[in-house]
Amino acid sequence: MNKVRNNGIVAIYRYLDDVCEVAESIEKRDDFKDHEIISHTSYHELIHIAEKKYGISQVRWFTLTGALTGVFTGFAMPLAMDYDWPLVVGGKTAGVYSLPAYVVFGFELMILLGAIATIVGMFVMGRFPNPKATVFDTRTTDDRFAVFVPGVSIDSQQAKLLKEFGAEEVYSTT
Amino acid sequence: MSDELVWDKTISDVNDGILKATGKPHPSYYVALSLSLVFLIIGIIAWALQITYGMGLSGLNAPVYWGTYITNFVFWVGIGHAGTLISAILFLFRAKWRNSINRSAEAMTVFAVITAGLFPLIHVGRVWLAAYWMVPLPNTNNLWVNFRSPLLWDVFAISTYLTVSLLFWYMGLVPDIASMRDRVKGYKRAMFAFLSFGWTGTLRQWHHYEAGYGFLAALATPLVLSVHSIVSWDFAMSVQPGWHTTIFPPYFVAGAILSGCAMVYTLVLPFRRMFRMEGFIRPEHLEALIKLTLLTSTIVSYAYGIEFFVAWYSGNPFEWAIFVKRAIGPYSFYFWVMVFCNCVFPLVFWSKKARNNQTICFIVCVLVNVGMWFERYNIIVSSLVEDFVPGSWGHYEPSLTEIAITLGSFGWFFTWLLIFCRFFPFVSMSELKLIMPKPLRPKTKLKEVKG
Repeated sequence: MNKVRNNGIVAIYRYLDDVCEVAESIEKRDDFKDHEIISHTSYHELIHIAEKKYGISQVRWFTLTGALTGVFTGFAMPLAMDYDWPLVVGGKTAGVYSLPAYVVFGFELMILLGAIATIVGMFVMGRFPNPKATVFDTRTTDDRFAVFVPGVSIDSQQAKLLKEFGAEEVYSTT
Repeated sequence: MSDELVWDKTISDVNDGILKATGKPHPSYYVALSLSLVFLIIGIIAWALQITYGMGLSGLNAPVYWGTYITNFVFWVGIGHAGTLISAILFLFRAKWRNSINRSAEAMTVFAVITAGLFPLIHVGRVWLAAYWMVPLPNTNNLWVNFRSPLLWDVFAISTYLTVSLLFWYMGLVPDIASMRDRVKGYKRAMFAFLSFGWTGTLRQWHHYEAGYGFLAALATPLVLSVHSIVSWDFAMSVQPGWHTTIFPPYFVAGAILSGCAMVYTLVLPFRRMFRMEGFIRPEHLEALIKLTLLTSTIVSYAYGIEFFVAWYSGNPFEWAIFVKRAIGPYSFYFWVMVFCNCVFPLVFWSKKARNNQTICFIVCVLVNVGMWFERYNIIVSSLVEDFVPGSWGHYEPSLTEIAITLGSFGWFFTWLLIFCRFFPFVSMSELKLIMPKPLRPKTKLKEVKG
């Protein structure tokens, strides 16, 4: 995040219902553009709000792509190697392939590449790893919630509104 | 279950309680670590001697070429099963009690599978040549590995299982490492910032994290069932009497989950005291784990019975002879230890009083682990010593080298686990908060706001 992005106000909340109410209220307003809600864990109330804000997570497409690539690779690899060096056993001549035996590789690589692609999807969509990430308030990884609003001052209407919703503290990050 | 629990801790106690205890364990922790290191050193010396003087130091010889090492391999893969069961399957079933023990179960899985992975290498003797038959690498002989062999299926299954378990375990750790980052300064902060990938806990991150975690769980669920099925095919795909049976995959999976649950209890109970986590890992959670152990014990007992019935009902004299000899032959000691430890002793868990007596539960869980090791030994050795031709029958007992390497594997496993618990929270802080009372506005305050 650049410097301008970090300028703004942070409101700290203790209660989940307070932060849910404020999150739903400011979502509809134009003067809270690019705000961030920060939580110490994934309460489903917050995930529900996130789903309304960001839509259904696109991580699923990464998983599907990885899994399909895995199935393809799992069959292609043994077939290619069998073609390159046929193992003539059990009366099977070269060119007759043991597809049932390769189901195991298709299955295992589907899981493996699907899982790796899921992690990549979480990283890409969640915008991390981010070595320059700003930790707005260290209490947010402990037991508090926070709302960060960029580009506004502590005297603004936005700060007053956040306070009205039950913020324990509102401070400027500049 | 956790909804009805009355917690004497709040979510504000979670990070403080867990991270402070992680940094300062009870002195018994250092005793446990020293013991583990002693066992590990014994194992390393024994392996070094085996590499130096050859496989003659092991008890492996015709007709038993699979003995203690493969027993250990199957045993440790089985131990690793409970971690994924608790993390993935119970996550999908929304079993809340898993949240207090899933981290320790996942760590156990990772270190158990790494331990299991050592045994094929120990077993082949010349470990530096293992890559030729285990991994499809281009080589000077222009040969590829045999993709029709269950042993190669196993290589793919175990490496996939290890990778997915590692990913699942580490992604669960990320929010907790971020919490650790926010409590320290200097180089430690930089290190934890790196390890947590710059996690900040924004809504966007949690949204995609939760979705991804769910997909990982969905992928890991069929994986956990497939891995021990594939391990069982190492045996079942052969024509050896006592091995060539279709019940092996579900029988192995149930046994793996039984041994894994028992091992989780065996680990969590002392660790909970060492790190003073009694307030977070509640007796109710431990009881739920014991219920799961009881369930899998009954499935395993059923599998033992069906295996015997099918051996008799099939009318195959070789199959039936193996099973009779298992029960009353020269290896009957192993068989009856297996039956008592896996089927009889866990019956005590039908009593609620016994389920809540941690000493009884701990002893029975240790016995289940012993029983599960003997089960694998029983399956492998008793089938190999006597096959179709009486002239090739033999006898097998583990040598001192094999026993030392087995003890070393326990040392290796516990050393890594203890080191992990010393530096990282072995209770998942972010997930534990989800089963504790939510931080909701007090009712009085709610009235004031509304009024």
